[in-house]
Amino acid sequence: MGYDLNRFEGVVDEELICSICSFVLEDPVQSPECEHAFCDSCIKQWLHHQCICPIDRIQIQPSDLKPVPRILKNLLSKLKLKCDYADYGCMAILRLENLNIHLQECEFNPKKPIVCTLGCNIVIPKDELKNHNCIKELKKIVDDHQSKITSLTSELNRQKYELELNFKELRSLKNFVSKYIKSNQLASNMVSASPTSPTSNLLGLNLTDDDDDDIARWSATLPIAKVIRWGGIISTPDTVLQTVIKRALIEHGCPASILNQLMENAHEKNWPLGLSTLENRQINRSQYANFVCKRVPNKQAVLILACDNRHMPSHMIVEPGNLLIFAHGVE
Amino acid sequence: MASIASARIKREFREVVTSDELTRCKIKLELLNDNFTELKGEIGGPPDTAYEGGTFQLEIKIPETYPFNPPKVRFLTKIWHPNISSVTGAICLDILKDQWAAAMTLRTVLLSLQALLATPEPDDPQDAVVANQYKSNNKIFLKTARHWTNVYAGSTSAAEPEFDSQVKKLVDMGFDSHKSRVALSSHLWNVEQAIESLYD
Repeated sequence: MGYDLNRFEGVVDEELICSICSFVLEDPVQSPECEHAFCDSCIKQWLHHQCICPIDRIQIQPSDLKPVPRILKNLLSKLKLKCDYADYGCMAILRLENLNIHLQECEFNPKKPIVCTLGCNIVIPKDELKNHNCIKELKKIVDDHQSKITSLTSELNRQKYELELNFKELRSLKNFVSKYIKSNQLASNMVSASPTSPTSNLLGLNLTDDDDDDIARWSATLPIAKVIRWGGIISTPDTVLQTVIKRALIEHGCPASILNQLMENAHEKNWPLGLSTLENRQINRSQYANFVCKRVPNKQAVLILACDNRHMPSHMIVEPGNLLIFAHGVE
Repeated sequence: MASIASARIKREFREVVTSDELTRCKIKLELLNDNFTELKGEIGGPPDTAYEGGTFQLEIKIPETYPFNPPKVRFLTKIWHPNISSVTGAICLDILKDQWAAAMTLRTVLLSLQALLATPEPDDPQDAVVANQYKSNNKIFLKTARHWTNVYAGSTSAAEPEFDSQVKKLVDMGFDSHKSRVALSSHLWNVEQAIESLYD
């Protein structure tokens, strides 16, 4: 639909008027044969009803429409008219070609987006500023975020639960596979008396049920440890300290199959996810009390063995166990 | 109402009211409400036709989809014409149906209706009785049309006094005057046949 004739200065030539809307042509296009010009939106709406020129009934398809000649565009662009917001007080008289640029900037546009300077910095239409309430708007945003957080949290919990199930399944599968390999080895040993097959190591399966039993038996011999100050953990124990602890473990019957792994797990980089960063440690602090900790006798060190801590969520434990060396605070 | 429709009607109304055709061709337009959806049109009967001297009133309703759909027009003044129903005033004219085009205006519609009065299309009839009479008994058709123009459209020229007296005969028998005139017009002014049809 074109521009209202009443907005224009002087008389507008009949040739510049759309015969469909009876206003001054807006985005004009013309039919290819008879060259009658119409507003783009008007002629498209008409061709939706009937594919003929509204003036002389020549057949036209919407795809046939062509841009109007430069002279027509020039004549239109030179017309002078009032701003769209004249009713709101804008006194500007503009050339049609400058209208759109002016409209974007016009101070009289009641819907002009402006930034609230009262504190919330939200962009709002100018005419809503009068009834604008920063607190109300910000509360809306906070509520929005809150509901997003709620839904994300419930999604996170669901994912955690699934992960937990997957861990358990993986563990039982590992057990099954290692038993299977072991029984095969036993069978082949009986035939060829060959040494151990490398397969189990290739699969990263250095834990077996028998090992588990060994660990559990060993764990039973260790005293329960009480950690007074969790803040005393040494996240990166030095070599000397490690050697001392390692010797103590050997002395007190640590199964050889897990000794090296335990020592590696004494370093922060191998800790379970739930303890891996300072931030995670703070989040999970409340769960520490649920750990079953075993004392490395006479040392400021505890073992959180996986076989003792199956009740803990999987992100709080590592296989075969986590060796935590303290500066102080272990009883 | 869609703003494009009311904008068009505003402009078309002005176009008709300010043009010299108002006097030359005797066409008139009157607004019936403020939202430009209902108008009353008026056309003068074209010269040298049976409708000369008559003034015919038209009901014009503008659909919301105007000008993409034609205005709905019917004759309020009773008229004897092959393409206009003598009962309802409904018009059979292609531009008011499938031949409408968005660039047409109320002015062109009124002028087209005037042209229709001058040149009936009996092969595309609205009123079959009238169309039949037009083709088979054109002389009586012209007299009947002139009579209707005289009675209903207020022309003072060429009254048909014998028709008046025939209508009066039936009215004296207790029939409604318009019904009597329709019956007589439909039966070539044969009084017996007209009475018979009125009793049916």
